[in-house]
Amino acid sequence: MTEPMDEQLENDWLDLRLREEAPYLDDAGFTARVMHQLPARRQSHAQRNAIMVAVTLLACVVAYFASGGGAFIGNSAAFLVAMPIWTVCALAGFSGLLVMVLGTAAAVKTARPPRRR
Amino acid sequence: MSLTDADLVARVLLDDDHHAFSELVRRHQSAVRGLLRQLTRTDAALADDLAQEAFLKAFKNIHSFRGEAKFSTWLYRIAYNCFREEARKRKELVGIDEARLEAEQDPQTVDPALRQDLMHALSLLPLHERTAVLLCCQNGLSHDEAARVLDIPLGTVKTNVLRGREKLKKTLAVWEND
Repeated sequence: MTEPMDEQLENDWLDLRLREEAPYLDDAGFTARVMHQLPARRQSHAQRNAIMVAVTLLACVVAYFASGGGAFIGNSAAFLVAMPIWTVCALAGFSGLLVMVLGTAAAVKTARPPRRR
Repeated sequence: MSLTDADLVARVLLDDDHHAFSELVRRHQSAVRGLLRQLTRTDAALADDLAQEAFLKAFKNIHSFRGEAKFSTWLYRIAYNCFREEARKRKELVGIDEARLEAEQDPQTVDPALRQDLMHALSLLPLHERTAVLLCCQNGLSHDEAARVLDIPLGTVKTNVLRGREKLKKTLAVWEND
């Protein structure tokens, strides 16, 4: 029982000495040098989102006036109502399927490979 | 309340937040530079260059940090790889290094101060044992974390730490009884 105890004490003594030999190194401009070499900051997500929303809104306004005050919306709605119900169902089903396939493809593409052990 | 490393990494990932990254550098610079100084045998200039390279690589590849290990463990791994690359470039591969060290080894060497003896004893260890001892005993990494840093099996890390410790204790035996 004494031997493992002695061994532990020796290890503790050594670990303590080693830790004492790792004093805190003063930064002395190291962080500044690293930061100076970083690539330029890209636009933040918030900025990019704001730009996307603004451009989308602008495009909507332009489209509204370019299409004669949004007459195409009413026309499309009337066209849809006049369609047979099975065509509307098929169209909705096809759209859902398309979104699902695209979503799955995007998920597979962005998935990371399993980590090597 | 101070932010955790994980919080800071998330900020860097989300907003490319340089300020958050500078905080990470500030927190870990001492440990990384200290480890590299020991690995390069106290060549402070080279160690700082390697540490700088390691932090730049960390920034560029921060998206590959998955949070499975501690940020410091991930950083040590990058720093250790930078050191290995540099050693290869300088043709100071581990085998050559060890051969030279074994030739230099002189257990009778007695320095007046413990510090000098300890540094000397460390520098006499083969690179793989020195690195394992530094990571586990000095920097407080678990064996598992050290295995991740060094990309070697857990058993090998344990063996290297054990052997390294034994050699250090042998060299420093005279101090231990004081």
